Amino acid sequence: MQDGMFTAALVGQPNVGKSSLFTRLTGVGVISSNYAGTTVTFEEAVVTRKGNKVRIYDLPGTYGMSGNSDDEEVVLEMVRDPDIDSVIVVADATNLQSSLVLCFEVIELGLPLILAVNKADEARKKYDTDYKELERILDVPVVPVSAKTAEGVDELADALCEGRGRRSTFQVRYEPHLEEAIDNIIGHLKKIRFDQRGTAVKLMEGTKTFIEGVMPATAEIASVLRDNFEREHNETSDIAIARERYSVSDAIVRKVQTRTQTKFSRKDRLSEMMITPSTGIPILIAVGLMLFVTMIFLGSLLDEAVSYVYDTLIGNSLADFGADKGGEMGRAIMLGIDGSIRAILTLVIPYIMVFYIILGVLEDTGYLPRAVVLVDRTMHHFGLHGGAFIPMIVGLGCNVPAIMAVRTIRSRREKLILTSLIVMCVPCSAQIAIIFGIVGKYSGFIYAFAILIVLLALMVVLGLGLNRFLKYEPSNLAMEIPDLSAPSLKNVLFKTWNRIKDFFVIAFPLLVVGSILLEIALSYSLMDFVIGPLSFLTVGMLGLPAAVILAFIVGVLRKEMAVGMLAIIAASTGIMELASFMGPEQFFVFGLVMAIYMPCLATIAVIWREMGWKETIAVSALSIGTAIAIGTLANWILMAF
Amino acid sequence: MMVSDNREDYLIEILRLTEGEGRAKTNDLADKLGVSPASVSEMIKALSGDGFVTYTKYRGAELTPEGLNYAKQLRKKHHIMERFLTDVLDLDSDTAHVEAHKMEHVISDDSAIRICRIIGTPVDDDCSSCESQCRAATGLGRISKKLNEMRQGDRGCISHLKCEDPKTVKKLISMGFVPGRDVCIGSNGSRSGPKVVTVGNATFALDSEMASFVYVEPSDD
Repeated sequence: MQDGMFTAALVGQPNVGKSSLFTRLTGVGVISSNYAGTTVTFEEAVVTRKGNKVRIYDLPGTYGMSGNSDDEEVVLEMVRDPDIDSVIVVADATNLQSSLVLCFEVIELGLPLILAVNKADEARKKYDTDYKELERILDVPVVPVSAKTAEGVDELADALCEGRGRRSTFQVRYEPHLEEAIDNIIGHLKKIRFDQRGTAVKLMEGTKTFIEGVMPATAEIASVLRDNFEREHNETSDIAIARERYSVSDAIVRKVQTRTQTKFSRKDRLSEMMITPSTGIPILIAVGLMLFVTMIFLGSLLDEAVSYVYDTLIGNSLADFGADKGGEMGRAIMLGIDGSIRAILTLVIPYIMVFYIILGVLEDTGYLPRAVVLVDRTMHHFGLHGGAFIPMIVGLGCNVPAIMAVRTIRSRREKLILTSLIVMCVPCSAQIAIIFGIVGKYSGFIYAFAILIVLLALMVVLGLGLNRFLKYEPSNLAMEIPDLSAPSLKNVLFKTWNRIKDFFVIAFPLLVVGSILLEIALSYSLMDFVIGPLSFLTVGMLGLPAAVILAFIVGVLRKEMAVGMLAIIAASTGIMELASFMGPEQFFVFGLVMAIYMPCLATIAVIWREMGWKETIAVSALSIGTAIAIGTLANWILMAF
Repeated sequence: MMVSDNREDYLIEILRLTEGEGRAKTNDLADKLGVSPASVSEMIKALSGDGFVTYTKYRGAELTPEGLNYAKQLRKKHHIMERFLTDVLDLDSDTAHVEAHKMEHVISDDSAIRICRIIGTPVDDDCSSCESQCRAATGLGRISKKLNEMRQGDRGCISHLKCEDPKTVKKLISMGFVPGRDVCIGSNGSRSGPKVVTVGNATFALDSEMASFVYVEPSDD
C-alpha cells in the first residue's frame, strides 16, 4: 500500500511488451519499441476500475531477479519494497519458457502475483496454448492478453483491481543436494522479509543483494555450501539452479503449448536476409539513405509548405501589430515572437517530425537489433560492441534518451566512448534541422552533406583514438533479436508526438522569452561585452559575424534556439533576409560548429546524472575544443579557395 | 561392437593401471583381477585381436586409441553409476562400487548421460571422482564444442558454461543459456562476426567471445 492505495508493479523480461501493456492498462503513454531495453526508468500511473484504485509501476525489463545489472537491481529493490502489494509478471506467449523462469523466481520469493501472458494474438498463429492448465499448474491467476489488440486487458485490469493476485503454492524442486543445502540455510535464517525458501535459493545462487541482507554468519554458511556444491558437482550452484528451472519450465510448456505451425515463414526469411552480410549490408545502406533522403526531400517540401501557409496567414501582421501598439520596441518584441514561431514551425514540423516517424517505424519493426549484428565488428574498433548502434540511432533524435540508453552498458569505458561519440558525432534532430534547414537552404545540399561526412570522419578518428587512449576492458555483445513485426501507425504517431511535444511546450516558450530578452538587450547594446571580447573567435578564427557568438551561447540552452537567434541577430544589424546575413561558406562553418560543439543543457544534466561531473566536464570541453578546431580549419580551407 | 563383460573388465583395469600411457604388465593385471597370468595372456591376445590393445612380449599390454576411448567410456559409466547409487539412492560406497561394476556393462551411453545430468556432472569432463584425471580426456559419448566454433544450421544441447567472470556467467544464464537447453545456430556471415543463436524460442546475437563461453554437445542431424 502506498498512500492507502493498492500498488502493483509490472515485471517481465525485456521486450515482452510491458510498456505497451502499461499504456493499454493506464492510458498513460510510455515509449515502447521492438527491442530490449526501451524502458530504463520507471513510470507510474493510477487505474480506476469499479470504484477501486490501483497504482501501477512500469519497470525496466529483467531477465532474472538476481540484481546482476543496474536494471535488475532497480526491479529487485522495487519488488522488495513493502509498499508493493502485488506483482504482474508479464510473459511472452511466443517465448513462454524464459518468461516462466522469471515467474518461478517471483513465486519463489513469496510475492503475490498475476501472470499476464502478452502477445497472445501472435502466439495463436503458431501455437495452441492451454492457459487454464497453466493456471492450474502455477496456482496463480493467468490472463492471456495482447497489448496490440487490447484483448484481455479489461480482464487483467479487473483481476488487478479486485486484488486477485496471490501467493502460489507452486514450487520448483531442485536436485537433492541443492534441496539439502537450501534446508540447511533456512535453518539459519532469522527474521526476513521474503519467503525463507526463496531467500535460501537466492543465497545458493550467490545473489549479492540477498547476501548483504542476511546475517554475516548465514552468508558465510551459504558461501561454504556453494563452494562444496561446486566441488562435488563440477558445476556452480547458480548454473545448477537455472538448469533445473529451465527443465521444469520446458516440461510445463510442453504440457500447455503445442506448435501448430512449423513452416519457415516469410518473416524468418526476411530476417535472415537482414542479418546475412551479403544481403544485410546493402539493406543497411539502403535504410540509411532512405532515412536521409526522405528527411531532406519531405523535410524541405514541408518546410516550404509551412512557410508558405505561415506567410499567407500571418505574414508581417505580428510585427505590424507590435509596431502599432508599442512603436519601435513593440515591433522588436513581436519580431522576436514571429521569429520563434517560424523557427519552431519550419524546423520542428518538417525535419524533426519526419525523422521521428521514420525512427518509430524502424524501432517497431525490430530492424535495429538486426543492424546491430552487422555493425558489431566495426564497433569493436571503437572499443564498443554492436549494441552501441541503437543509442546512436536514438541520438539522431535527441541525445537525452540516447545517453540514458547508455545505462544498459556495464563498463565505464564504453559509456564514456559512446557518450562522447553521441554528443559530438551524432547530430540530434535539432542539429539535423540546422544542417538541412539552414545550411542546406542557404549554402546548398552539397555543404549539408559535407557536414555529415565531416561528422562521420570525426567519429572514426575519435572512436579509434578513445579506444586506444582509454584502458582496455572487454566489451561483449549479447542481445536478444526480437521477431520482426509490422509497425502500428498508432504507436508510431503516438511516439512521434510524445517526442516532439517538448518542442512545443518547453522549447517554444523558452524561445519566445529568450528572443524577447535578446531583442531588448540588442536594441540597448547590452550584449556588446560578450560580442566584442569573443570576436577573436567568431571573426578571427571562424570567419563569422561577431554577433553570431550569441547564437552559439543560446544554443547551449537548446540547439534549435540558435536558429531563431540567428534571425534576430541578423535583424538587429538591419538585415531582414538571413540569406544576405552570411555567405554560403559562413553558413557551412556555422552549421559545422553547431553540429559538433557542446551538448545542450538537458544533455549535460543527463551526462552528469549518469556518469558524474568529471566526465561531463571532459566531454563538454572536448566537444567545444574539437568544434572550434574543426570550424577554424574549415574556415581557412574555404578561404584558401 | 559387442564386447563381453569380462573383456570390458580387462580394458578398464588396463586403463586404471596405465591411465592411457605406457603398458600394463601381465602380472600386475593378474593381481588386480585375481586371475592367473596365463588367463591374462589369453585375454590380452583376444583383445589385441579386437584391436583394443597392442601386446609386446615381456613388456605388457598397451591400449590402442580405440581401446583407450572404450575404456574411458566404461570407467565414466562406472563413476556415474557409483555417484548415482551413493548420492541419490544413499547406498554405502562399497555396495555402490560392486553394483556399479555390474551396471557399467549394461547401461547405454544415452542413459548414462541422462543420469549424469540428474546428478549434475558436466558430461564432457572426465569424472571428478577419478583418483587421477585422464590426461587425454575424451569424454563419454560426444565431445562438446564451443558455441563460436559451430556453423550455421548446427544444432545441439548446451553442456556447460565456462568463464572466469561470474557476472558474465550469470548474464548468460539469465538470458537462457543454461545447460540442458537446445540451441540452433542461425545465419552468420563472417567467421568472427556475432553468432545468431536460437535457444528455446528466443534468438540472441552473441559475439564470438561471448559465444566461446558456452559449450555445446552437437547433435547428429
